[in-house]
Amino acid sequence: MDKALRHRIIGLAFLFAVMLLSIPAFAQPARPAVPTDIIGEWRLENNEDDTTAQPPLGDYTGIPFNDAGRMRSDTTPESIWGTPEYQCRPHSAPHQWRGLGGARILKEQDPLTREASVYHIQFMRSLDRPIFMDGRRHPPAWAPHTWTGFSTGQWIGNTLKITTTHLKDGYLKRGGPQTSDMYSMTEYLTRHVDILSIVTVIDDPIYMEEPYVHSTTYAYDPTSVVNTETCNASAFAENGGTNRHWVPHFLPGQNKAWTEWLKNEPWVPEVAVRGGAKTIYPEYRSTLNGGSLAALNVPISKSAFAVNQRVQSQSPKDGQVHVMPVQGNIYMLVADGVNIAASIGPDGVMLVNTGTAEMSQKVLTTLNELVNNVMASPAPNRCFGTRCPGTWGWSSPYVNAVINSPATPKPIRYIANTSGSAEHIGGNEKLASSGFFPRGGGFGSAVANPGRAASIVAHENVLVRMSTTTGKAAPAPAAAAMPTDTFFDELHKMPNFVNGEAVIFYSAPAANTDGDSLVFFRGSEVIAAGNVFSTVSYPVIELDKGGSIQGVIAGLNKILDLAVAEYRSQGGTLVIPGHGRLSDTADVASYRNMMVMIHDRIKDMVDKNMTLAQVKAARPTMDFDGRYGSTTGAWTTDMFLEAAYRSIKEKK
Amino acid sequence: MRSRTLLLVFAATLFATTMATAQRGGGGGGGRGAALAARQSAPIDLTGYWVSMITEDWKLRMVTPGKGVYDALVLNPAGRKAADSWDPAADEKSGDLCKGYGAPALMRLPTRLHVTWENDNTLRVEADTGTQTRMFYFGAAAPPAGEPSLQGRSVAQWELAAGQRGQPAAGNLKVTTTNLKAGYIRKNGAPYSDKTTVTEFFDLHALPNGDQWISITTRVDDPAYFSRTMTNTTDFKKLPNATGWNPTPCSAR
Repeated sequence: MDKALRHRIIGLAFLFAVMLLSIPAFAQPARPAVPTDIIGEWRLENNEDDTTAQPPLGDYTGIPFNDAGRMRSDTTPESIWGTPEYQCRPHSAPHQWRGLGGARILKEQDPLTREASVYHIQFMRSLDRPIFMDGRRHPPAWAPHTWTGFSTGQWIGNTLKITTTHLKDGYLKRGGPQTSDMYSMTEYLTRHVDILSIVTVIDDPIYMEEPYVHSTTYAYDPTSVVNTETCNASAFAENGGTNRHWVPHFLPGQNKAWTEWLKNEPWVPEVAVRGGAKTIYPEYRSTLNGGSLAALNVPISKSAFAVNQRVQSQSPKDGQVHVMPVQGNIYMLVADGVNIAASIGPDGVMLVNTGTAEMSQKVLTTLNELVNNVMASPAPNRCFGTRCPGTWGWSSPYVNAVINSPATPKPIRYIANTSGSAEHIGGNEKLASSGFFPRGGGFGSAVANPGRAASIVAHENVLVRMSTTTGKAAPAPAAAAMPTDTFFDELHKMPNFVNGEAVIFYSAPAANTDGDSLVFFRGSEVIAAGNVFSTVSYPVIELDKGGSIQGVIAGLNKILDLAVAEYRSQGGTLVIPGHGRLSDTADVASYRNMMVMIHDRIKDMVDKNMTLAQVKAARPTMDFDGRYGSTTGAWTTDMFLEAAYRSIKEKK
Repeated sequence: MRSRTLLLVFAATLFATTMATAQRGGGGGGGRGAALAARQSAPIDLTGYWVSMITEDWKLRMVTPGKGVYDALVLNPAGRKAADSWDPAADEKSGDLCKGYGAPALMRLPTRLHVTWENDNTLRVEADTGTQTRMFYFGAAAPPAGEPSLQGRSVAQWELAAGQRGQPAAGNLKVTTTNLKAGYIRKNGAPYSDKTTVTEFFDLHALPNGDQWISITTRVDDPAYFSRTMTNTTDFKKLPNATGWNPTPCSAR
């Protein structure tokens, strides 16, 4: 090739390359393609009193509390931390950025793209908190809640927006102001040189009139170290002496100490310390000179979600069956709002409750699919050649394994009924008759097992209730739906391991009815609680069937006696409620605490000879009604109050 | 010789590319982005009416705390000494009613803001409390420093954020304020001096309920009265209109 021509070609190629390089430079905005780095050690650097100091008891200034939030906070003392279930509780999520000890942010990378797939945020008194950046969805509403919740992140410019759901109930600030377990938290993290600004939005319409927004700042400090506060508390009720079930609380109006701090800060008006949305807008100052707070009009914002929907979404009445793996052998089936526990393993299936009759076919279909997936899914052969061990030696095990179908899963062997409630036994007949109990006839023979069906196990009062017509509309269940094996003691063990573990029934006498029981899968560490525990309503107490509020509390305490948290008061033994989300010890403790508080409030009123109408008018459940109450449906707050009142009055 | 020519062509192309890129950037505040005015290159819209939400330090902001309450401040001994001599009556007598409304303290007061573009390169921020006005000057728009004043001289710049190609522009506003007259960082007489510098970062967030909020991260440096930099964050919610706008005069108490 001619030298000049060659130079010309090289030159043109060179120019073309430069032009190519130039094109993206023009097309791109003048900003880096990678978000700001936020990983590292951060030190709390904030000159705000609310950040650096624990607020005094009763200081709700700046919090848009509603009446329920105030009542809940006034009646919940800090000594609730002394209860065994809360002793290892980490700081609640809204307080974490304001707790002492700094923060550490770590990053997991996608190995191919090197983009952040997960950020981890750690505080001194916290669990590791993952922030998923990979676009995954939040879990369904019936998934467990944790102290740090489930968080996903998204970069918006230089700001990391974090959305957190599935949070447990806790507190906004150490020492007092409470949250429900239905709140969402949204955070915005923005780095400004060496300062990290964090804006936190807590949206809790159960306890707040509008979302609560606060912010704080951290300074980058590679020399700081975030210590880990491990929990080694002796799980003993600090405040209740030998009573491990003691729940410290104030009766409404009994907490007289909430204004004591005003002696030291006399310039603060007493009315303002109760919080409320109107107190946080500048125009509140007009009331300091005698203006009317009631007449004050401020531009209150709304919650981003409908709280009733959020509560009910834990127990969707959608005509569907949703499956949630629990742990070990156990799965939770959410069947049109009713929970069924299923143990699936080599022995077959054991169900705890069967849902409604209307859902039984869908439950059976879903269960069959689930069992096939769990027990009989084709899997790649991992054993081939002469090294493959086997009874038959060298006989083409590779080929055999490939051409063989998986074995047919074993059928339903046992059904446990935690009560005789129609919503839990409605599927007995269909599901039991689809199953098979090899010994036939029932091993307890309370009722002859009609053919080759699964065995149905329950407290004997369930059989009594099912066999006795109530005189009302409900027809007696078919014989095939009746318990075939009953027990009457405080506990009953399944005679053999089921799917490799012990299964033990614990009677919860006089709880929702006189036949309730808890079913404990001892190897999987799962308790099916039946109607003793719900995350979507007050407990259904059927006085005419022997139920009582005292029995419900005793049943909840029994669960807490059996259950053990995995770490820092969460996880570990999991509890499947009759309705609602999968739970753990802290969730049951929260529900138990509420029941004790309500019991004691009503008892105090009964002791003062108040009538049922007066008790209802006094609204002793006001701080919990937004979360568990209802004015419509089969079980209203009024019905619950009446049941609680009568069971307390009759016991008196 | 030919190689030299090629090199020259390459250098010229690279220069043209660099210039074009720099001009298109438009950001960087007063620096390299001369092609676009601040208003046109704004990555966030701060204009409109905003209300401060007193969710933090309520008892130190909504009401004036008593003399000697310096919680959360970083006063050094000289600062404390000056604070301890606070005499609101004397301020009233001398007409110094607005000492607690200067730039280092104004955003922390319960107030509404009205933010508008004064011109293409100047953002005007009015506060109804104390009827104060701050001017944020971008780039060359900043006038020369004159006499120190309550609101000082504020130089602003957009800080363009990182982001993916094709995403809308994002970023924040950085404002540096100097040339301040001495005043009170808290209305109970806790002082800042005329040597104070205020650095503020304005971030805009869209909340899940549809609200828009500004979060202002503020750093106040005062070598005379502070032992170290004072840092806090203050939050404002956007309002649909001027309802509630209530200009009130300064108060010394």
